[in-house]
Amino acid sequence: MSKEYGYIGKEVTQAFRSNKGIFTPQDIIELDQENKWTNFGQLELIQTQNADDSSSTLDFTSIKENIYNVHFLTVNNMSITSAGTNSRSILVRLSNNGGTSFISSSTYQRAHQQCFSNGSFSEVKSTGISYLNLTGAATNSTATLSSNCYIYFYNLGDSTKYSFSTVHSSGQQKGNYLKSHFGSAVYPVAETHNAIRLVSSTSSENIEIGSASLYGIRSF
Amino acid sequence: MGLLQVSTNTVTSAVASVTLTGINSDDVYMLTINNFVPSTDAQDFKIRVVESGSPNSTSNYDYAHKLLRSDTTYNNTSATNQTSFDGTSSTGNATGECSNGIFYIYNANNSSEFTYFTQEVVLASHTTLLAGFQGGGVFTSASQVEGVQIFPGTDNIQSGTFTLFKII
Repeated sequence: MSKEYGYIGKEVTQAFRSNKGIFTPQDIIELDQENKWTNFGQLELIQTQNADDSSSTLDFTSIKENIYNVHFLTVNNMSITSAGTNSRSILVRLSNNGGTSFISSSTYQRAHQQCFSNGSFSEVKSTGISYLNLTGAATNSTATLSSNCYIYFYNLGDSTKYSFSTVHSSGQQKGNYLKSHFGSAVYPVAETHNAIRLVSSTSSENIEIGSASLYGIRSF
Repeated sequence: MGLLQVSTNTVTSAVASVTLTGINSDDVYMLTINNFVPSTDAQDFKIRVVESGSPNSTSNYDYAHKLLRSDTTYNNTSATNQTSFDGTSSTGNATGECSNGIFYIYNANNSSEFTYFTQEVVLASHTTLLAGFQGGGVFTSASQVEGVQIFPGTDNIQSGTFTLFKII
Protein backbone atom coordinates (compact mmCIF):
# COMPACT_ATOMS: atom_id res chain seq x y z
CA MET A 1 0.00 0.00 0.00
CA SER A 2 1.25 3.43 -0.84
CA LYS A 3 1.68 5.65 2.20
CA GLU A 4 1.31 8.80 0.13
CA TYR A 5 -2.46 8.72 -0.53
CA GLY A 6 -2.35 10.96 -3.54
CA TYR A 7 0.33 13.25 -2.26
CA ILE A 8 3.63 13.16 -4.12
CA GLY A 9 6.74 12.56 -2.11
CA LYS A 10 5.13 12.97 1.27
CA GLU A 11 4.05 10.17 3.52
CA VAL A 12 0.79 10.91 5.37
CA THR A 13 -0.07 9.49 8.78
CA GLN A 14 -3.59 8.10 8.84
CA ALA A 15 -5.73 7.60 11.92
CA PHE A 16 -9.35 7.11 12.85
CA ARG A 17 -11.08 10.51 12.62
CA SER A 18 -8.07 11.83 10.75
CA ASN A 19 -7.87 10.56 7.17
CA LYS A 20 -6.15 12.79 4.66
CA GLY A 21 -5.56 12.31 0.95
CA ILE A 22 -7.10 10.52 -2.02
CA PHE A 23 -7.84 6.87 -1.46
CA THR A 24 -8.10 3.87 -3.69
CA PRO A 25 -10.54 1.09 -2.73
CA GLN A 26 -7.55 -1.00 -1.67
CA ASP A 27 -6.28 1.82 0.55
CA ILE A 28 -9.65 1.93 2.28
CA ILE A 29 -9.77 -1.84 2.79
CA GLU A 30 -6.30 -1.88 4.30
CA LEU A 31 -6.85 1.15 6.52
CA ASP A 32 -10.15 -0.34 7.68
CA GLN A 33 -8.39 -3.56 8.62
CA GLU A 34 -5.90 -1.54 10.62
CA ASN A 35 -8.76 0.40 12.23
CA LYS A 36 -7.41 3.63 10.77
CA TRP A 37 -10.36 4.34 8.47
CA THR A 38 -13.07 6.60 9.86
CA ASN A 39 -16.17 4.45 9.88
CA PHE A 40 -18.51 5.24 12.77
CA GLY A 41 -20.35 2.26 14.16
CA GLN A 42 -19.27 -1.22 13.34
CA LEU A 43 -20.45 -4.74 13.81
CA GLU A 44 -17.18 -6.56 13.42
CA LEU A 45 -16.73 -10.28 13.07
CA ILE A 46 -14.06 -11.42 15.51
CA GLN A 47 -14.09 -15.14 14.83
CA THR A 48 -16.24 -18.02 13.60
CA GLN A 49 -15.80 -21.50 15.03
CA ASN A 50 -17.17 -24.69 13.49
CA ALA A 51 -17.84 -27.85 15.46
CA ASP A 52 -16.66 -31.13 13.97
CA ASP A 53 -17.46 -33.74 16.63
CA SER A 54 -13.86 -33.76 17.86
CA SER A 55 -14.33 -31.86 21.11
CA SER A 56 -16.90 -31.05 23.74
CA THR A 57 -15.84 -27.40 23.69
CA LEU A 58 -15.50 -24.45 21.35
CA ASP A 59 -13.28 -21.69 22.75
CA PHE A 60 -12.94 -18.06 21.75
CA THR A 61 -9.64 -16.93 23.22
CA SER A 62 -9.02 -13.69 21.30
CA ILE A 63 -12.21 -11.77 21.94
CA LYS A 64 -10.74 -8.23 21.77
CA GLU A 65 -12.28 -7.34 25.10
CA ASN A 66 -10.04 -4.28 25.25
CA ILE A 67 -11.82 -2.88 22.17
CA TYR A 68 -15.47 -3.82 22.60
CA ASN A 69 -17.80 -3.20 25.52
CA VAL A 70 -20.56 -5.19 23.85
CA HIS A 71 -20.08 -8.59 22.18
CA PHE A 72 -22.64 -10.45 20.07
CA LEU A 73 -22.49 -14.23 19.70
CA THR A 74 -24.58 -16.21 17.23
CA VAL A 75 -24.94 -19.98 17.49
CA ASN A 76 -26.29 -21.77 14.46
CA ASN A 77 -27.46 -25.35 14.00
CA MET A 78 -25.51 -26.74 16.95
CA SER A 79 -25.97 -30.28 18.25
CA ILE A 80 -24.44 -32.65 20.76
CA THR A 81 -23.58 -36.21 19.84
CA SER A 82 -26.05 -38.17 21.93
CA ALA A 83 -28.66 -35.57 22.64
CA GLY A 84 -31.25 -37.12 20.34
CA THR A 85 -32.02 -39.59 23.06
CA ASN A 86 -30.91 -37.54 26.05
CA SER A 87 -31.54 -34.00 27.13
CA ARG A 88 -28.39 -31.98 26.66
CA SER A 89 -27.50 -28.32 26.44
CA ILE A 90 -24.58 -26.17 25.40
CA LEU A 91 -23.29 -24.03 28.25
CA VAL A 92 -21.35 -20.78 28.17
CA ARG A 93 -18.48 -20.09 30.54
CA LEU A 94 -15.99 -17.24 30.90
CA SER A 95 -12.28 -17.14 31.53
CA ASN A 96 -10.19 -14.55 33.34
CA ASN A 97 -6.84 -15.95 32.18
CA GLY A 98 -7.11 -16.01 28.42
CA GLY A 99 -8.63 -19.45 28.20
CA THR A 100 -6.11 -21.36 30.31
CA SER A 101 -9.10 -22.28 32.45
CA PHE A 102 -12.78 -21.41 32.50
CA ILE A 103 -14.80 -20.44 35.54
CA SER A 104 -17.05 -23.33 36.59
CA SER A 105 -17.76 -22.44 40.19
CA SER A 106 -21.38 -21.90 41.19
CA THR A 107 -21.05 -18.14 41.08
CA TYR A 108 -23.09 -17.18 38.02
CA GLN A 109 -26.70 -16.04 38.29
CA ARG A 110 -29.41 -16.38 35.70
CA ALA A 111 -33.09 -15.72 35.11
CA HIS A 112 -34.63 -17.27 32.02
CA GLN A 113 -38.11 -17.83 30.70
CA GLN A 114 -38.53 -21.15 28.90
CA CYS A 115 -41.27 -21.68 26.34
CA PHE A 116 -42.15 -25.09 24.87
CA SER A 117 -44.32 -25.86 21.88
CA ASN A 118 -46.16 -28.50 23.88
CA GLY A 119 -47.73 -25.73 25.92
CA SER A 120 -45.36 -25.76 28.86
CA PHE A 121 -43.77 -22.58 30.18
CA SER A 122 -41.39 -22.28 33.08
CA GLU A 123 -39.14 -19.91 34.96
CA VAL A 124 -35.53 -21.04 35.25
CA LYS A 125 -33.61 -19.04 37.82
CA SER A 126 -30.66 -19.42 40.10
CA THR A 127 -28.32 -17.33 42.21
CA GLY A 128 -25.56 -19.92 42.02
CA ILE A 129 -24.93 -21.96 38.89
CA SER A 130 -21.75 -23.00 37.12
CA TYR A 131 -22.30 -21.29 33.77
CA LEU A 132 -23.33 -17.96 32.40
CA ASN A 133 -25.88 -19.05 29.87
CA LEU A 134 -26.97 -21.94 27.76
CA THR A 135 -28.00 -22.12 24.17
CA GLY A 136 -31.15 -24.10 24.87
CA ALA A 137 -32.03 -27.53 23.66
CA ALA A 138 -29.51 -29.40 21.59
CA THR A 139 -30.13 -32.64 19.80
CA ASN A 140 -28.09 -34.72 17.44
CA SER A 141 -27.77 -34.09 13.77
CA THR A 142 -29.23 -37.43 12.71
CA ALA A 143 -32.56 -36.20 13.96
CA THR A 144 -32.07 -32.97 11.96
CA LEU A 145 -32.65 -31.05 15.13
CA SER A 146 -30.46 -28.33 16.49
CA SER A 147 -30.04 -25.38 18.80
CA ASN A 148 -29.83 -21.78 17.66
CA CYS A 149 -29.45 -18.58 19.59
CA TYR A 150 -27.90 -15.19 19.96
CA ILE A 151 -26.25 -13.82 23.08
CA TYR A 152 -25.16 -10.29 23.94
CA PHE A 153 -22.29 -9.90 26.39
CA TYR A 154 -21.58 -6.69 28.26
CA ASN A 155 -18.45 -5.41 30.02
CA LEU A 156 -16.27 -8.47 29.51
CA GLY A 157 -13.20 -6.28 29.32
CA ASP A 158 -14.11 -3.90 32.13
CA SER A 159 -12.36 -4.89 35.34
CA THR A 160 -14.60 -2.59 37.36
CA LYS A 161 -17.90 -4.09 36.18
CA TYR A 162 -19.67 -7.40 36.37
CA SER A 163 -19.99 -9.35 33.12
CA PHE A 164 -23.60 -9.52 31.95
CA SER A 165 -25.40 -11.32 29.16
CA THR A 166 -28.80 -11.68 27.55
CA VAL A 167 -29.86 -14.63 25.42
CA HIS A 168 -32.67 -15.62 23.08
CA SER A 169 -32.72 -19.14 21.70
CA SER A 170 -34.82 -21.51 19.67
CA GLY A 171 -34.15 -25.22 19.31
CA GLN A 172 -35.63 -28.66 19.24
CA GLN A 173 -36.00 -30.50 22.51
CA LYS A 174 -35.83 -34.24 22.98
CA GLY A 175 -39.22 -35.49 21.85
CA ASN A 176 -39.23 -33.24 18.78
CA TYR A 177 -40.84 -30.16 20.17
CA LEU A 178 -39.64 -26.62 20.20
CA LYS A 179 -37.89 -25.15 23.17
CA SER A 180 -37.30 -21.42 23.19
CA HIS A 181 -35.88 -19.39 25.98
CA PHE A 182 -34.87 -15.83 26.69
CA GLY A 183 -33.41 -14.10 29.67
CA SER A 184 -30.41 -12.70 31.44
CA ALA A 185 -27.33 -13.78 33.34
CA VAL A 186 -24.44 -12.27 35.23
CA TYR A 187 -21.09 -13.26 36.67
CA PRO A 188 -21.14 -10.96 39.72
CA VAL A 189 -17.43 -10.44 40.12
CA ALA A 190 -15.83 -7.23 38.89
CA GLU A 191 -12.92 -8.46 36.78
CA THR A 192 -11.79 -8.74 33.17
CA HIS A 193 -12.97 -11.73 31.14
CA ASN A 194 -10.96 -12.48 28.05
CA ALA A 195 -12.18 -15.80 26.70
CA ILE A 196 -15.54 -17.50 26.11
CA ARG A 197 -16.19 -21.23 26.03
CA LEU A 198 -19.15 -23.11 24.61
CA VAL A 199 -19.23 -26.51 26.27
CA SER A 200 -21.40 -29.57 26.08
CA SER A 201 -23.39 -30.09 29.27
CA THR A 202 -21.90 -33.61 29.35
CA SER A 203 -18.16 -33.44 28.93
CA SER A 204 -17.89 -36.92 27.46
CA GLU A 205 -20.13 -35.94 24.56
CA ASN A 206 -18.83 -33.75 21.77
CA ILE A 207 -20.41 -30.84 20.00
CA GLU A 208 -21.19 -32.68 16.81
CA ILE A 209 -22.09 -29.95 14.37
CA GLY A 210 -22.83 -26.26 14.29
CA SER A 211 -21.11 -22.94 14.10
CA ALA A 212 -20.67 -19.99 16.42
CA SER A 213 -19.66 -16.49 15.41
CA LEU A 214 -18.47 -13.81 17.79
CA TYR A 215 -18.84 -10.15 16.86
CA GLY A 216 -17.87 -6.92 18.52
CA ILE A 217 -20.16 -3.89 18.56
CA ARG A 218 -18.08 -0.77 18.49
CA SER A 219 -19.07 2.78 19.16
CA PHE A 220 -16.90 5.87 19.00
CA MET B 1 -26.47 -6.95 9.10
CA GLY B 2 -24.34 -3.89 9.59
CA LEU B 3 -24.44 -1.04 12.03
CA LEU B 4 -23.97 2.63 11.30
CA GLN B 5 -23.45 4.78 14.35
CA VAL B 6 -25.81 7.72 14.41
CA SER B 7 -25.14 9.23 17.80
CA THR B 8 -23.36 8.39 21.03
CA ASN B 9 -22.87 9.89 24.47
CA THR B 10 -20.64 8.66 27.26
CA VAL B 11 -21.51 10.06 30.68
CA THR B 12 -18.62 10.30 33.11
CA SER B 13 -20.04 12.91 35.47
CA ALA B 14 -23.64 13.18 36.58
CA VAL B 15 -26.21 14.52 34.12
CA ALA B 16 -29.99 14.69 34.28
CA SER B 17 -30.54 13.07 30.89
CA VAL B 18 -29.00 12.00 27.62
CA THR B 19 -30.51 12.79 24.23
CA LEU B 20 -29.57 10.93 21.07
CA THR B 21 -30.91 12.11 17.74
CA GLY B 22 -30.28 11.38 14.09
CA ILE B 23 -33.13 9.06 13.12
CA ASN B 24 -33.90 10.23 9.61
CA SER B 25 -34.86 7.16 7.63
CA ASP B 26 -37.37 4.32 7.73
CA ASP B 27 -34.69 1.81 8.72
CA VAL B 28 -34.77 -0.05 12.01
CA TYR B 29 -32.56 1.58 14.63
CA MET B 30 -30.76 -0.02 17.55
CA LEU B 31 -30.06 1.64 20.89
CA THR B 32 -27.36 0.16 23.11
CA ILE B 33 -27.14 1.08 26.76
CA ASN B 34 -23.93 0.06 28.44
CA ASN B 35 -23.13 0.51 32.12
CA PHE B 36 -26.05 2.72 33.10
CA VAL B 37 -25.43 3.67 36.73
CA PRO B 38 -27.86 5.97 38.56
CA SER B 39 -26.54 8.55 40.98
CA THR B 40 -29.20 7.42 43.46
CA ASP B 41 -29.30 3.73 44.33
CA ALA B 42 -32.18 1.53 43.16
CA GLN B 43 -33.27 3.70 40.25
CA ASP B 44 -34.38 2.70 36.78
CA PHE B 45 -33.96 4.59 33.54
CA LYS B 46 -36.79 5.79 31.39
CA ILE B 47 -37.07 6.65 27.72
CA ARG B 48 -38.98 9.26 25.80
CA VAL B 49 -39.09 9.91 22.09
CA VAL B 50 -37.67 13.15 20.75
CA GLU B 51 -39.56 15.16 18.15
CA SER B 52 -38.32 18.38 16.58
CA GLY B 53 -35.59 18.64 19.18
CA SER B 54 -37.75 18.12 22.26
CA PRO B 55 -38.67 15.05 24.31
CA ASN B 56 -42.35 14.21 24.20
CA SER B 57 -43.77 13.86 27.74
CA THR B 58 -47.41 13.36 26.84
CA SER B 59 -49.28 10.31 28.14
CA ASN B 60 -48.78 8.22 25.03
CA TYR B 61 -46.47 5.45 26.17
CA ASP B 62 -47.67 1.86 26.60
CA TYR B 63 -45.45 -1.06 27.55
CA ALA B 64 -45.47 -4.68 28.67
CA HIS B 65 -42.48 -6.42 30.20
CA LYS B 66 -41.47 -9.59 31.87
CA LEU B 67 -39.22 -8.92 34.85
CA LEU B 68 -37.02 -11.96 35.29
CA ARG B 69 -35.24 -12.42 38.60
CA SER B 70 -32.66 -14.90 39.78
CA ASP B 71 -34.13 -15.11 43.29
CA THR B 72 -37.89 -15.40 43.05
CA THR B 73 -40.98 -15.58 40.84
CA TYR B 74 -40.98 -13.35 37.79
CA ASN B 75 -43.24 -10.34 37.51
CA ASN B 76 -45.33 -8.97 34.69
CA THR B 77 -45.14 -5.21 34.36
CA SER B 78 -47.43 -3.34 32.03
CA ALA B 79 -49.03 0.06 31.76
CA THR B 80 -50.82 2.31 29.30
CA ASN B 81 -50.90 6.04 28.81
CA GLN B 82 -47.68 6.70 30.66
CA THR B 83 -45.40 9.68 30.19
CA SER B 84 -42.35 7.51 29.37
CA PHE B 85 -41.19 3.91 28.90
CA ASP B 86 -39.62 1.99 31.73
CA GLY B 87 -36.25 0.89 30.43
CA THR B 88 -35.01 -1.17 33.33
CA SER B 89 -35.70 -1.93 36.98
CA SER B 90 -34.09 -0.93 40.30
CA THR B 91 -30.46 -0.64 39.30
CA GLY B 92 -27.74 -0.52 41.91
CA ASN B 93 -24.86 1.92 41.93
CA ALA B 94 -22.34 0.02 44.04
CA THR B 95 -19.22 -1.38 42.40
CA GLY B 96 -20.13 -3.60 39.47
CA GLU B 97 -23.83 -2.85 39.59
CA CYS B 98 -25.39 -1.37 36.46
CA SER B 99 -27.90 -1.92 33.65
CA ASN B 100 -27.12 -2.97 30.09
CA GLY B 101 -29.49 -3.48 27.20
CA ILE B 102 -30.44 -3.46 23.55
CA PHE B 103 -33.49 -1.68 22.19
CA TYR B 104 -34.72 -1.96 18.62
CA ILE B 105 -36.76 1.00 17.38
CA TYR B 106 -39.30 0.65 14.58
CA ASN B 107 -41.24 3.17 12.45
CA ALA B 108 -39.75 6.16 14.24
CA ASN B 109 -39.21 8.21 11.12
CA ASN B 110 -42.63 7.41 9.66
CA SER B 111 -44.99 10.23 10.58
CA SER B 112 -48.06 8.13 9.86
CA GLU B 113 -47.16 5.26 12.19
CA PHE B 114 -46.67 4.72 15.91
CA THR B 115 -43.09 4.17 17.10
CA TYR B 116 -42.41 0.72 18.53
CA PHE B 117 -39.64 -0.60 20.75
CA THR B 118 -38.42 -4.04 21.73
CA GLN B 119 -36.02 -4.37 24.61
CA GLU B 120 -33.81 -6.89 26.34
CA VAL B 121 -32.06 -5.60 29.41
CA VAL B 122 -29.87 -7.21 32.05
CA LEU B 123 -28.99 -5.58 35.34
CA ALA B 124 -27.55 -6.04 38.79
CA SER B 125 -30.01 -4.58 41.25
CA HIS B 126 -29.30 -2.52 44.35
CA THR B 127 -29.15 -5.83 46.22
CA THR B 128 -26.70 -7.24 43.65
CA LEU B 129 -29.26 -9.67 42.37
CA LEU B 130 -29.52 -10.41 38.69
CA ALA B 131 -32.64 -9.29 36.87
CA GLY B 132 -33.75 -9.19 33.27
CA PHE B 133 -36.24 -6.86 31.69
CA GLN B 134 -37.67 -8.11 28.40
CA GLY B 135 -40.62 -6.90 26.40
CA GLY B 136 -41.79 -4.06 24.25
CA GLY B 137 -43.46 -0.72 24.09
CA VAL B 138 -45.17 1.71 21.80
CA PHE B 139 -45.44 5.47 21.53
CA THR B 140 -49.06 5.84 20.47
CA SER B 141 -48.81 8.99 18.45
CA ALA B 142 -48.37 8.92 14.70
CA SER B 143 -45.51 11.34 14.41
CA GLN B 144 -42.00 11.70 13.11
CA VAL B 145 -39.53 10.74 15.84
CA GLU B 146 -35.91 11.80 15.46
CA GLY B 147 -34.38 10.33 18.58
CA VAL B 148 -34.69 9.31 22.20
CA GLN B 149 -34.08 10.81 25.60
CA ILE B 150 -32.82 8.59 28.45
CA PHE B 151 -33.20 9.74 32.04
CA PRO B 152 -33.34 8.17 35.50
CA GLY B 153 -36.45 7.76 37.62
CA THR B 154 -35.08 10.36 39.98
CA ASP B 155 -31.92 12.39 40.31
CA ASN B 156 -29.13 11.91 37.73
CA ILE B 157 -27.35 9.46 35.47
CA GLN B 158 -24.02 8.88 37.16
CA SER B 159 -22.36 7.11 34.24
CA GLY B 160 -23.00 5.09 31.12
CA THR B 161 -22.52 4.87 27.39
CA PHE B 162 -25.56 5.36 25.17
CA THR B 163 -25.32 4.74 21.43
CA LEU B 164 -27.83 4.89 18.61
CA PHE B 165 -27.16 2.85 15.47
CA LYS B 166 -28.96 2.53 12.18
CA ILE B 167 -29.21 -1.06 10.99
CA ILE B 168 -27.99 -1.29 7.42
